[in-house]
Amino acid sequence: SLFRAEDISLIQLYIPLEIAQPTVAELGELGQVEFLDLNPNVNAFQRAFVGEIRRLDEMERKLRFLENQIEKTGIKPKPLTGNLYYGRTRTQQEIDDLEARLTEHEARIQQMNESQDTLQKRYLELSELRQVLRETAVFFEQAESRTDDPLLVIQREDSHLLAGNPSPDPEDAQDQRDSGRINLGFVAGVVPRARMGIFERILFRALRGNLYMNFAEIDEPVTDPGTDEVVQKNVFIIFAHGREILQKIRKICESMGATLYPVDSHPEKRREDALAVISRIEDLKHVLDSTRNTRRMELSKVAESIEAWAMMVKKEKAIYHIMNMFNYDQNRKALIAEGWCPTNSINSITYALRGVTERTGSTIPPILNELRTKKTKPTFHRTNKFTAGFQAIVDAYGVATYQEVNPGLFTIISFPFLFALMFGDVGHGLLVTGALVYILWKEKELNVKNGGEVIFDGSKPPNLISTIRWDMFFGGRYMIFLMALFSVFTGLIYNDLFSKPLNWFGTGYKFHTEHDHEMRVGEKLWTYAVGIDPAWQLAENKLLFLNSYKMKMGIIFGVMQMIFGLTIQIFNHIHFKQVQYIYAETIPQILFTVSIFGYLVFMILYKWSVDWLAVGLNPPSLLNTLIYMFLAPGSVAPSEVLFPGQAALQVFLVLLALLCIPWMLCAKPYLIWKESVRHRLQGYDNVQGNRDSLDSDRTGEVTPHNGDGGHGGEGGGGEGHGEHEEFSEVVIHQVIHTIEFVLSSISHTASYLRLWALSLAHAQLSEVLWDMVLANAFTMKGVGGTIALYIAFGAWFYLTVCILIGMEGLSAFLHALRLHWVEFNSKFYGGGGRAFIPFAFADFVEANGGPAE
Amino acid sequence: MEAITFNIDNGYLDGIVRGFKGGILSISNYLNLTQCETLDDLKLQLAATDYGNFLQNEPSPLATTTITERAREKLVAEFQYIRQNAGPELAKFLDYITYSYMIDNIILLITGTLHERDTHELLERCHPLGMFDSIAALCVATNVQELFNTVLVETPIAPYFEKCLSAHDLDEMNIEIIRNTLYKAYLEDFYEYTQTLGPTTAEVMGEILKFEADRRVINITINSFGTELSKDDRAKLFPTCGRLFPDGTFRLAKADDQDQVRLAVELYSEYRKFFDQGPGTERSLEDHFFEYEVYLNKRAFLQQFHYGVFYAFLKLKEQEIRNIVWIAECIAQQQKERINDYIPIF
Repeated sequence: SLFRAEDISLIQLYIPLEIAQPTVAELGELGQVEFLDLNPNVNAFQRAFVGEIRRLDEMERKLRFLENQIEKTGIKPKPLTGNLYYGRTRTQQEIDDLEARLTEHEARIQQMNESQDTLQKRYLELSELRQVLRETAVFFEQAESRTDDPLLVIQREDSHLLAGNPSPDPEDAQDQRDSGRINLGFVAGVVPRARMGIFERILFRALRGNLYMNFAEIDEPVTDPGTDEVVQKNVFIIFAHGREILQKIRKICESMGATLYPVDSHPEKRREDALAVISRIEDLKHVLDSTRNTRRMELSKVAESIEAWAMMVKKEKAIYHIMNMFNYDQNRKALIAEGWCPTNSINSITYALRGVTERTGSTIPPILNELRTKKTKPTFHRTNKFTAGFQAIVDAYGVATYQEVNPGLFTIISFPFLFALMFGDVGHGLLVTGALVYILWKEKELNVKNGGEVIFDGSKPPNLISTIRWDMFFGGRYMIFLMALFSVFTGLIYNDLFSKPLNWFGTGYKFHTEHDHEMRVGEKLWTYAVGIDPAWQLAENKLLFLNSYKMKMGIIFGVMQMIFGLTIQIFNHIHFKQVQYIYAETIPQILFTVSIFGYLVFMILYKWSVDWLAVGLNPPSLLNTLIYMFLAPGSVAPSEVLFPGQAALQVFLVLLALLCIPWMLCAKPYLIWKESVRHRLQGYDNVQGNRDSLDSDRTGEVTPHNGDGGHGGEGGGGEGHGEHEEFSEVVIHQVIHTIEFVLSSISHTASYLRLWALSLAHAQLSEVLWDMVLANAFTMKGVGGTIALYIAFGAWFYLTVCILIGMEGLSAFLHALRLHWVEFNSKFYGGGGRAFIPFAFADFVEANGGPAE
Repeated sequence: MEAITFNIDNGYLDGIVRGFKGGILSISNYLNLTQCETLDDLKLQLAATDYGNFLQNEPSPLATTTITERAREKLVAEFQYIRQNAGPELAKFLDYITYSYMIDNIILLITGTLHERDTHELLERCHPLGMFDSIAALCVATNVQELFNTVLVETPIAPYFEKCLSAHDLDEMNIEIIRNTLYKAYLEDFYEYTQTLGPTTAEVMGEILKFEADRRVINITINSFGTELSKDDRAKLFPTCGRLFPDGTFRLAKADDQDQVRLAVELYSEYRKFFDQGPGTERSLEDHFFEYEVYLNKRAFLQQFHYGVFYAFLKLKEQEIRNIVWIAECIAQQQKERINDYIPIF
């Protein structure tokens, strides 16, 4: 239940080794057990099932590889359906099969990748060669157009372009001609465009400018098979002469990552080459396509089930991690597990265990023992989608100590209510309600869509951030829905709709002009049916009235909530069997609060109930009354008298409050002291530890092993009572506590004035927005007025949503949060617990982005 | 002054680097690592540290070289991140750090080419921090002059190179001389530069670089015994920014054997203990140097608002990688008895 954490039991499981894995799997599906680490001192790699985990890691690596390949190929992996079959954990046999299959797939795909890479590379080279041939052909043709003899042209080109050699050496030309036209003095190839600049510079420096270089850009980008990156490349052709120099150029080209291609100097030969290259490219393309197709088919086969496999491996890994936390029994036939589980779930756990035994046909069923323990138990509140948001607010402050009263239950109503007191406006409330009704209506779809958006990897931070924000909003949808509904209600009470009042029942005031005043004076005829009379909206003293009203309302609700918080202590004390503390602590605290602030509330209500005009007296100031109640006890100024006998009552209350202080200060330490004395007198001082160990069945310090559980020697678990608590510490603690309580009772009460402040700010802001933006547009006439109204309405609506609903809503939320965390929770809530985190597959399936993607 | 203005440009990166430093393996991490039986255990242990799953995509029989590579990749990625986010002054400082890697790479390539190794293989062995665009063209050159004119003239370390331009051919000895001359010029320049970066940086980096210079002086001296390097030439290779300069270097320049080195260094209390080793200890001089370097680098983190932390972080992390590799090698070669010879950092 939400009122208190559920009963938690420490259970011990004996699981026969051969069915350990399916058992843990079953418990993981159930998600009701939090396993304890029984070998905290063992190193991660010395645990029992490291081998299996490592194997699964290896499988995960293969899966990642396959997934990567699939993604690169652009195949969409089949999303995991809700089908239980795919999601369920598998037997050992199936895992072995899967491993074999993964290895096979990986090997095959790797092989295909390799062959595809080589083919691709060849294809690339050929297409580059084609480009080189084409581009060089252009160079040569340009030259050819000038003269018929291509050889001569080259010589000439050389001659007049080589700056270092103004007059060509005839011998040199002869030399080249002699060398059989193979080494005609040029090098052609392809180089990445990005490297072009450096390439040129280095060539220039290395050859001291003795070269002529021509280059052309390849239009179509080339994909590098190694890195899958698109690279822009240039074709270049360098003319130079001298074997040495050409050799050097070649070397530089190689070191710069350029690829050289042989180009013949004969035009006919070149044409032939080009044709041959083209036909070879065609062939290669065929082969490449078919390889690509097979690879694609293989991958799409893998893609069919990769998600299911990944899920399977993930689950298996989690299972072995859990099993690493278990102990072996003496003859290593069974595993011993210990863990927390809700007492209510023990039945379902035994049922699940029985199911496993039946399914696996094991002869020895797993045995479940319930252990008694003194360890602090984890806190577990079962929540549903409605209460989860509220409980999250409380848990954010602190997880409840085991079985103490959980403020989450009260928060469900009090939180939206306090929020609405600050946010009260029918219009804003309705807008939010509308949005939330839509979200709740489309709940399933939005949740699924959202689940798809949450991709569990850090590579997309912006997306992640936006989904986190959406998740927060979506997780709190029921809370926001309630907050909006309550705002509509308080809006009705405040009679405020976008700062305009609603006059449904007709105002109860009749106005007439008094002769000596310019303004009109209202005369009250009857009380407006719901909320505040709309006439106040137009009144000169509207703010005066509303401030006083909201301020007092804030105090009243605040004192109510605080006293409520104090009374909850009683439940805690009764539950923890410390009834004496009710008298020692709770009652003086309540009396103290009531005698001062309860009296204040009484005065407020009393003052409201008296028609001061009819009595003909000036209404007294409550603030002064409260202050002088302490400064001048026993006397009330005649003008400030509220009711007869006030002075005597006030003296009594002050005395009562003062009495409460030493009461709080002394009673509790005295009780503690008395109890410890009683313990000592009864001689339990030493026995206590002994008895505890018998109780807890696992202390092991006094009685090392008592055999009824038969479990291995895990000693030193239970902690004995802190019997010899330093008494002085108790006193100091109590002094601090008392002082804090007394002081905070004032500051906390004042803190509730924020209800007034924020509600005032909200109303004023919305009024200003209306007057400044929309009201102006109403005054204009004609077509201009229409356009102005159109624009003004847009602006007004936009600002309303952003500032009044978004910003103001957030600030009201924050203040409501603070009132709960500080003012309310501090009255009774310890919040020193530890949350119960069961081992559940459902959790990490969700954490990993759900079934989709 | 620094306290006011340092964080404007460098506060973020200072925080980042101090965060990185928090991820440096502690003694207990090392204890766990040394207990590993196989490299896979090591991988599992490292996964629990800041290294995370840097090895997760490696197929199972792990090689130590893979571990080194991945670890270095991680460090380089961290350094690049800092470099990319650095303001102009810090960026220049960080660039200065990379120059030493450039020198190493250049020497590696020249030596490799001299022995006619494959260029691509050599390039893979280069430190990624010391890469520059035209580095591959280094293997074209056959003598120093050409080397400089073709490639190095446009690299940042060109000014250092100018000093060792001689028409000598490239041979083993000359390359060594070039390396040391380059280092000398580099260290002196870096030292000068750090002295302009405000008092704290000057102090911290001064300490570290002085030690670096001294270490080089001692190493050069010891390594030159029995080679044909003349004493005069040797003296020319000594960086002049160290603590040993000028008195100690003068003595070292005249030293003939190990004992004279010890005598020369005796006067410097920090260095004396490096040579005071009993016969039983296995710690080499090199280890002592590394230890002292770690000590200095660790000390850099005690000061606020200076650039030294960036340098110190890089060096500490390098030491850590050396440690991991040492442990990994010991595990791989079943040399468990020497596994504890790593140099603990924190």
